[in-house]
Formats: sequence, C-alpha cells, structure tokens
Amino acid sequence: MLPRLPHRLVRLELLLFAAGAPLARSAPAPHAAMPERHRAFLEQNCLGCHGPEKQKGKFRVDELPLTISDLPTAERWQKVLNALNAGEMPPEDEAQPAPELKADFLEDLSHVMVAARKHLGDQQGVITLRRLNRREYRNTLRDLLGVDVDVSALPSDTGGPGFDTVGANLFLTGNQFEQYEALAREALEDAFTAGAAAPVAKKFRYEAETIHPTFVKRNRESLDAMDRANRWIKAVDDAAALPENAALVATLREIAATDDALRYHWKKIPGAPSPMTFGFNETAEVNPATVYLFRDRTGFIRYDEYYLRLPRLDQGSYLTVTSGYGGTGFAATQGLSIPRDFPPGDYVVRIRAGTAPGTPADRRFLEFGLKGFAGAGTPALSTHHITGTIESPDVIEIPFTFNRQSAERNHRNLFIRERGLNDGGKVQRRVQEAVERNGSGPEVAIWIDWMEIERIPAPPGTMAPGLRALDIGWDDRATGIPKEKLRIALENFAREAYRGVPAPDGLVDRLVRIYDSHQATGGTHRDALKQALAAVLSSPRFLYRAEPDANTAHRPLDGLELATRLSYFLWGAPPDGTLRDLADSGKLQEPQELAAQTERLLSHPRSAHFVQPFLTQWLALDRLDLFQFSRKLYPRFDDAVKSAARQEVYETFASLLCENGRLGDLLNADYVVINALLADYYGIQGVAGDAYRKVALPAGSPRGGLLGMAAILAMGSNGQRTNPVERGASVLRKLLHDPPPPAPANVPEIERLAGQVVTTRERFHAHQSDPQCASCHRKIDPIGFGLENFDAIGQWRTTDRYEALDESGAPVPHASKTWIIEPSGALHRGPAFRDYFALRELIAGKKEDFARGFTVALIEYALGRPCGFSDEPLIAGIVAEAGEDSFATRAFMHALVRSKEFHSK
Amino acid sequence: MNAPLNRRHFLRTSTALIALPMLESFGFRRFASAAPASTLAARPKRMIFLGFGWGVTQQSWYPSMLEKGPDYILPSGLAPLGRHKSDFTIVQGLVNKHVSGGHSGSTFWLTGANEFGEPGQSFHNSISADQVAAGALGKETRFDSFIMDCGAATQPSGHGQGLSLSWDSRGKPMSGPRTPVEAFHRLFSRDTTPLDQQQAMFRQRRSVLDNALESARELQRQLGKTDNAKLDEYFQGIRDLETRLSRDEQWLGVPQPTPDLAEPKSSLAGYEEIELMYDIMIAALRTDSTRVLSYRQPVTTLLASLDVRIDAHTMSHYPGKGPEYLEASEKRDRAQSELLAGLLDKLKATREPDGSTLFDHTTVVYGSNIRTGHNLDNCPTILAGRGAGIRLGHNLVVPKDTPLCNAWLTLLRGSGVPVERHGDSSGVIPQLLA
Repeated sequence: MLPRLPHRLVRLELLLFAAGAPLARSAPAPHAAMPERHRAFLEQNCLGCHGPEKQKGKFRVDELPLTISDLPTAERWQKVLNALNAGEMPPEDEAQPAPELKADFLEDLSHVMVAARKHLGDQQGVITLRRLNRREYRNTLRDLLGVDVDVSALPSDTGGPGFDTVGANLFLTGNQFEQYEALAREALEDAFTAGAAAPVAKKFRYEAETIHPTFVKRNRESLDAMDRANRWIKAVDDAAALPENAALVATLREIAATDDALRYHWKKIPGAPSPMTFGFNETAEVNPATVYLFRDRTGFIRYDEYYLRLPRLDQGSYLTVTSGYGGTGFAATQGLSIPRDFPPGDYVVRIRAGTAPGTPADRRFLEFGLKGFAGAGTPALSTHHITGTIESPDVIEIPFTFNRQSAERNHRNLFIRERGLNDGGKVQRRVQEAVERNGSGPEVAIWIDWMEIERIPAPPGTMAPGLRALDIGWDDRATGIPKEKLRIALENFAREAYRGVPAPDGLVDRLVRIYDSHQATGGTHRDALKQALAAVLSSPRFLYRAEPDANTAHRPLDGLELATRLSYFLWGAPPDGTLRDLADSGKLQEPQELAAQTERLLSHPRSAHFVQPFLTQWLALDRLDLFQFSRKLYPRFDDAVKSAARQEVYETFASLLCENGRLGDLLNADYVVINALLADYYGIQGVAGDAYRKVALPAGSPRGGLLGMAAILAMGSNGQRTNPVERGASVLRKLLHDPPPPAPANVPEIERLAGQVVTTRERFHAHQSDPQCASCHRKIDPIGFGLENFDAIGQWRTTDRYEALDESGAPVPHASKTWIIEPSGALHRGPAFRDYFALRELIAGKKEDFARGFTVALIEYALGRPCGFSDEPLIAGIVAEAGEDSFATRAFMHALVRSKEFHSK
Repeated sequence: MNAPLNRRHFLRTSTALIALPMLESFGFRRFASAAPASTLAARPKRMIFLGFGWGVTQQSWYPSMLEKGPDYILPSGLAPLGRHKSDFTIVQGLVNKHVSGGHSGSTFWLTGANEFGEPGQSFHNSISADQVAAGALGKETRFDSFIMDCGAATQPSGHGQGLSLSWDSRGKPMSGPRTPVEAFHRLFSRDTTPLDQQQAMFRQRRSVLDNALESARELQRQLGKTDNAKLDEYFQGIRDLETRLSRDEQWLGVPQPTPDLAEPKSSLAGYEEIELMYDIMIAALRTDSTRVLSYRQPVTTLLASLDVRIDAHTMSHYPGKGPEYLEASEKRDRAQSELLAGLLDKLKATREPDGSTLFDHTTVVYGSNIRTGHNLDNCPTILAGRGAGIRLGHNLVVPKDTPLCNAWLTLLRGSGVPVERHGDSSGVIPQLLA
C-alpha cells in the first residue's frame, strides 16, 4: 500500500547527493546499489561456479554491476535473490556462507531490489489522467444531483498496489461504461423523484405499549399451540396403545426407536388423528416434526410470565433477549413501519428509552436498522447508548436516509433490538445462562417509551446544482419545451457536471440527437432527458479529471483545476460554489486565500471523505474484515465493537485535524477519542453517549495512540490468535517508515513445529535460525512479541495459552500449554525494551520517521501518482516545514497544498 | 486513434465474417437430431480456464514426481477426480519466471508477463491465453469469450490485481459477470421487444456510443501523451461495445437459445456458487453462445461454505501451524477437486450433434500461479479434455522451470489457434503432444 522507501540504504545516498546541489526534477535520479562490502560475499560464495572460470547456467557474478540502473541488471540480481531465498544456492554439497552474513546480504539485497523496482518504475512526477474512483464518483453524483446511489456494482478501485487515487491504476472497460450509464440513469431517476417530493414534511410516532395486546396474543397462541401439540401427541399415543394395533406398532418400532419417531408414522396407525384436526397445517401433516417444535418450545412460558409482571407495560415496552416463542420472542425486535405515503428522503428517527435498574454497563446499548432481504437477520445500521433510565428516559436521535430502492422493494420496517441480539450463537448462550440462574431468562435491560420518524423537508432554495442548472421540467407533463430551451438546459447541466468547464462545441448537438432518437421511438420526455443527461455523466469529461497539457509538461494548473484538485483531495468531491468563484476570479492561487480555503475544507464535516478513505488505505484497515473473529473465544468483540473500533481510528485522526494536534499523538498520547461503547470495551468510566470525544487516560494505561487501539491490534491477529509477525511488520511499515520488503517467493516454510504444543516465541524462534527468514524477521518479530500483552481483540492480558485441536476442532487432551507473556526484547541493531510501555516509548521517539511515512502517503494520495525518488525534495520539504510546527497535523496539509507539485500538471 | 471512417470500415468487415452458414450449423441444426452426422462440419474447439488463487496443499495434492506417466497414485487432494483419472493430465514443474509477488495467484497466470517489464511504469501486463484463444475461436458466437469472476471475494482469495483472469491485447484488465445471476442474465436474458423496436434501439445505442467517442476525441486533442494512453482505455471500451453491438445486430432475430438451466434465484456463495457457475459454463457451451470461458473462482467464500473459520490467506500458510490449518487447506483442495470432477462429468455427458461429447472438443485448464504459501514454482496445473489433442491420463514432470506459457502455447496450437508464441514461451511441451 505504502510506497516502500528503504531509507537506510537509499536515503543516505540521497542526502549526500542533496548536500552537493539542490535536487531539481531534471537532476539524474539516484541509483539503487548494493553496498561495496557485499562484493566479498559474492566472491566467496558464488564466484567459483559463476565467474571467469566457470559460468554455470551462463551466469556470472563478477560482471554484475553493484548499481542497478537498468532492467536486465535488475533481472540478474532478482535471480541471485531468488536462488538464495529458495535455498538453491550455494548447492547443498558446497560450503555454505555464515548465517549472519547471508542474512545481512539478503536483507540489503531485498531492500535494494525494492528500491530498484521503484527507481526503474519512477513516473518522474507525471500524473496520469485520473478517472473518478468509485467513492469520488459516488460523492460527485451526490453533490451534483443530491442523491446517494449504490455504486457497489462498480469495481472498488482499492486493493491495488497504491491508493485508489492513483490514475495509472484506475482502469476503465466497456462493461464499466455501461455501468456508469445505468448508474447515471438511476441517479437521475432518484433526483427527479426526490425533487418532486422535496417539500414534503411527515411525522409518525408509535407508542411502544401498542405492542402489549400483540404480546398477550402471541403468548396465548404459543400456549395454545403447545396444548394442541400435546393433545395430538396423546391422541396418537392412545391409538398406538390400542390392543388391536399392537402387532403393527411392534413392526413400526423396528424402524422407529423413539416415541416421537413412532408418532411420525401416525398415518399408518388406525385411529390416529391428523395434526390438521388439531389446528396444524399441511406441513405438519406431512412432517409432524413441526408439531414437536410447538411442544418443545416451552422456554417462553416462564419468560413471558416474568415479562408480564414488569412495571410500566401500560406506558411502554421492553426489549427482550431471546429468539424464541411467545410474547417475549416477539418483543425482542421491535420497531415501526414507515407509512406507505412517506416518500424517500432525509429523515430523523427518535427513540425515547431508558434502562432498567441494575442494568450492567455493557447492556445499555440498542441497535437500529432497516429490515432488508435478510429480515430479522439484517445487520444493524448503528448502535446507540441509552443514557436515561425508566424514570427519566432520554431521547436518542438518529439521522436516517430512506432511499428509493428501499421504498420500491417495500423495505419499510425500522427495527430496534438490544445490542448483540443478532450475533450468532451468543443469544442462545445468554438465554441458557440466565435460565440456569433465574429460571426464566435474561433480565430485561431496555425500556422503550416511543419511537418516532420525521421526514425533514429540503429547505427552499436548496435544489441540487445539477437540477438547478437544468431549469426545465422533467416530468412527462412538461411537453412542448422549445428546442432552444432544451439546448440551454443541456449546456448548463454539462457545465455543472464538468465542474465548471464549459460544454465543448458539438456536445449539445449530439445530446439533442440522443434526446430526439429516444423520443422518436416512443420514449417520454422524462426518459429522453434522462438518456441525454446520462450521456453527459458517462462522458470522459465527467469521469476523468482532465488537466489538458498537450504541449507543456508540468505546466501550472489554472484556477478551476486547482480548485478541483483541492476539493477532491480534502472532500473526495467536486469544488463547491465558493471554490469555483474564487477560481474564476483568480483569487484561489493567492497563497493566503488558498490557505484559508484549505482551512475551510478541513474544518467542514465533508473532510470525513478525506479522513476515512485515506486512513483506511494508509493503515490498511480493510484487513479488519478479512477474517471472522471467533464469537466463542471473543464474545465481547461483536459487530458493534468492531465497527466502533474502526471508527476510533478515524475519529482520533479527525480530532487531530480539527484541533491541529501533533501527528506524534498517533504514536503515544495521554488521551483517547472514544464513545460510550468503546469506553465500556476499554474499561474507562464516565463516558456517556454515542459521540466520540477526547477522554483523558489514567497514568499507566496501555491505550493512547495507534498501538493501543483495538482495531489496530485486532488486525494483527487472524480472529483467533495474535499474529506477532503481522503486528511487527505493520509497525515497521506504518509507524517507523521502514517497510520490510514484500514477502519473498519460494522460501521453504518452517514445518518442523507443526502441531506441536509450544509457546508463540518458541514457534517463531525458527525464524531466527534460517538466514532467509532472519534477514527480515530479526527486525519484525521482536516488535510483534513486544505487543503480545494484547490478545487477538486488543484486550490486555498477561498470559497466553495454546491448545492443540484435532481435525474436528475439539481440544486434544493434555495437549495444551499456558505461559506468562514475556514482552521484552530489542529492536534489531537498536535499543532494548523491557515491556510494551518501553517499546511504545521507543517508537514514539521516532516521530520524524513517522512523519516521513505519513508525508509519502499523503503525497501519493493527493497527487494520485506513486511517490518516487524524484520526490525526495518534496518529501524533505514538507517534513521540514511541518517539523518547524512540532509536526502539527495541518502543517503537513498546508505544506503539500502550497508545494509546486500540487500546483502543476 | 483511428479516423471514424476506418473504424466503421473495420466494424463492417469484421461483422461480415459472421457468415450465415455457420449460424445455421451451430445455431439450429444442433437441435435437429435427425441431421446425419456426416454432413456436419468438424465440431468447434472450446477452452475453459479456471483459476483458484491461493495454490494447493503441497503434500496431498501433488502426485509423487517419481511416479511419472499413467501409473501414478492419485493423492488424497485429487481423489474426487478418480473417475476421470485417464482423462486429465497433471503437469509438474511449470513456472512464470517473472512473477515475484506471493499474493498474486491470477494476475499473470495466463499472461506470463513481467510486472516490472516497462521502464517508467510501476505495473505492466500483457494479453492472457484465453483472449488469444478468443481472437481465433470466438468469431462465430454471440460472445467471443465469456469472462466470469467472483466479485468481492477476489481480494482475500489470493488472485492479486486485475478484474478477472483475462487481460486484453494491451495488457488491460477485463471484467465480466461476478455472480451466477449476472452471468445467467448476460447469456440468456430474453428480449421480447418486437424486431423493429429492437432495431430502433440499436440506432439509439449507436447515437450514445457515437457521442461517447466524439466526446473522448474532443478531449483527446487537448491531452499529452501519457494522458492519451490512459484515455485510450475509454476509446477501447467504447469500441468493444460497438463490436458487441454489431455482433448483437447480426444476431438480431436469431432466437436466444434455451439454456436448459433454471434462472439462479439468489446470490449463492462459495461451493454452490462455483457449482452454479460451472453449470452456466456448460449451458453457454451447449448453446454455443461462446467457445472460450474464464473464471476466477472464490476461495474465501468457498471456505466459509465449508464451515472453515480460518481466513484464506492464513490457511495458505498452513506449514508450521496447527493441524486445523492443514485440515482447512486439504478440505479446500478436495472441494475444488469435487467441483472440477462435476464439471468434467457434465462435459462428458453433454452430447454434440455428431454424437461426440463436449469433452471431446473442449480443453479445461485448472490451476494457479501460486503453489502453496508464497511459492511460485511448480504451479499447480491440471489439463483436461480432448479439445487440444493433448496426452491425457499422465503425471507429467517437465524440466524444472519450464514456462507456464509453454503449456498455454501447446494448448492454443492444439486448439487450432494460429499463434507463434505466448508470453515468455520458449516452445511447446513435446511430452504433452499425444
């Protein structure tokens, strides 16, 4: 993800170079080179067979230049690296190099190869034409038309070697063109529909006690079904007991060992009645197992009785914890149905709720969502903290967008349920545990007074700019629009869609042709218009952020281009009216104005569209979704916590950006930015509500900074066990800007410990003995071990345990081991650390390395091209500038926005 | 960039190649069982490419290298293929020598390109074998090739960069349906609009594509070299659509074939999804909708559907870990072998008009660029079907580091594709020639 700058080797050389003369873009780029001292290694170990005397495999090392400046040389060195990594060279029967020497050689060579690849692939500052990536495309349609379309049909544009802003990696195919067309039509339909409904205000409140009669009804129905089941069973048993049926029953017994199995064959037993005569349906007649279900689900009786004794049932209802039958099964997921005449649009949902006395902190949360195809299993949209009590309930406000797709599919049921009710087998365990304890079921925690949904009408005059530009009717009643008016509408819409660039000659003619050809075949005005506008939204001027430069490379950007670059950088969206006006008047290029606009954009809530995608990709946060966290091992790490933990990363950075805090706070801080849910997870008292805010940490807390965040730590696991290698490598990659080279191919894996019961350190110790492994792992592993006090979900621990499992996943008897975690170690060729806290101190001391890594990522993200060696002056400049301001977060942004590179094509 | 005149000219010429006698023999006579076999032309060649990302289990998937030839013991990972043992060949020792990324099982698998091969570019690729095949075998069908993918499951499945297994002649990634539902609709959706309306819609479509091209051309004039190379993707995309449109126009009025397969209802994931995609492939071949197919299979969702709770990448590094990782890896192998065996069953069971079977005219390529873990040598390779006339039933051990592209070259030539070389090929694999 991050461009890999192996600074130890290459930067030194660069600094020497830079000392002589300031680097300019035209200066020759530095070369990736193996240090001279490794010549001896080659001579000693390779020259005998690959030198002047013998040239086995037609390969000579003596003619191999130490400096890699062309592809053939790179390919030859790659061969050397491959052969050493695979353990093929020197051949087994020859003398082997000393492990330490071999590891050193491999470490340097693998870094040099990364540098060489980077050098040879350097784009020399050229920014390739950038297509709007998936999220920019979505944001752009939203800004233009005021609607949010589902873009999941498009390729995500992430997952490549760089950021999703890098033009060279943003491809386009014919299929994609068709998807853009289809999405544009969809968005226009949304916009036309929404435009018509814009002023509609609606409100509906639902009193939670309304469910009470239904609760009672469900309770009676379940009791009745159970009674009917028992009566049918008795009737079948009576028939089976008749003496004249004895012989038959004896034969049936041979295939039906249990009583239920015997009843299954009721049809064969004379006198046995059909389940249908007891009010069951045809399914039950064919398969009496359904009848048994009604008989067996008796758990609800006591839970219903418990519920019916609760206070305030006449003023509200409780969210129960069960997936079972009866009224309590029904009360587990409650909610309201959005009335049929409520159009799509922006809504706010309010819930007045409180918690019952004695409710533990981790049960004071409810989940909110809209039932989709998955029905009751639909994942929640959000989780909310309930701060009130039954005596004095609080109102939770949730913004909610009801889109046209949901309305068309008739997905109108909003739901609330206690947090975690949807989390797999967890509910069963909770019910079981409670029944064993109190005989009825989990105590209720949340009382609901009422729930309300209100449509927020669009304020007058806030029509989306695309629609405003159109200025003609779009519904089919709008007939007889003069051609000239249509032309003006199309021209204005195109200019708006092209982010202020006027429609080129000929475009309007072609759009009118599309409009006409559609109407000629019986298409309505609305459809024909949609077709013509969709053509604008799938044309290259819209899909690409063109910065024309037919003649001059690296020419300065004009005002509009600069505005566009700035707003896509900080908002992931096109420039707004203010930016465009400043661009038109030429003011935007004035340094003070540009700085002021940068401040304005950063302070706007839309900067979340910079924070989230940038951090997600920079820190590779999608890894959090790569594996399932074991619910059995880690019941606390549920969907709500996982999503809050990810949010913590964004919110922490957003808070730094908002307050212009020091970037170094990401390495170590005496505060965290959390909400009530995470406070509960981290065991921090006194935090209420869903909003994230800065909370001071007690001395000695392991939290504070990225290293202490649940999301970051959980990514260093596989959902079951910690992965010290992943953790160590990501610290080197993201915090210390010293990325290990990519995992080499063809290194034989260490198998000798497979299935053995050993500690994690013992398991990874083998990494240190094989030089191929040690070349990287001696640097990676100690950091990972230093973080072992955090378990796979980022909770603090002092011991760890390994339990061997057999093929069915069951523990093997006597094959387990528990040990006390030993976090101490030393950075490779660096200082020693006693524990996690000391390690964190060491890492926090490397603020400048961290700043460099951050800068490289920022450049790549903002400019949409790989950050190459030719960018060294730019990197150094930004780091130096921000350094003067104690690495304040906004200082990086300003320095980059000010740079010549940001202003040039 | 071509002048408009040339482009139209080219389109006309290329569509003219879709000769009607071909339509007759493939489109209709197939269903006329009374037609005497002798009057039928030789059956067309077909090729299927299946890629499965994160390699296989070293110790239980590969037969011993010592048991060369037909008398080898089928290891447990391939056991479900037992009934087809004489009908496929496993090739050992193949490699894409330029590939060095341990997480890219599919990016260069069919191309053999050198990622770093172009100075000043951080990524480079070239045409994939299936697209070379499509150029020659795909002239007479509705789709010159049909590309299938596994959508969101791609990234954790070890495939690496790309939108599918397929890369076009300029080394750009190609895309296609990502779910069975999408694939089914693309192939078999019926258009019930009257013919004249369909023709009018074609005209409309042309005006849309013309505008797209004109808009691109207008922008092109203002851009420099690098940007134009990028914009070229847009041109190519529109041209592909025009070619498709011309093709569709030629097929106007020809009834859409009946797939003999129920429309997929829901979005299945994992095992059932792959099975359904295979069924769709059979339906596509049976109806002669296409003759070249590629499919980038999901691994991560396959594991989930097998109740494996370990993520796919961790599983691929099973050595040195607990037995549950090895078990997961082997479970994956067996499931994939079962699925392949099912596909071969169906190829053998599907009759051609002349009494032969699809299996007699099809080549199935099944493999990955990753052996296991981060190992990129001895890429797992299974070749089946009699379409390319290769030797089947063998455990074939080729000289170490023989280019994978030599295998692709052998298969392409065997299928009648006139091609001199492919990727980094150095020649055909003589042992494969029957």
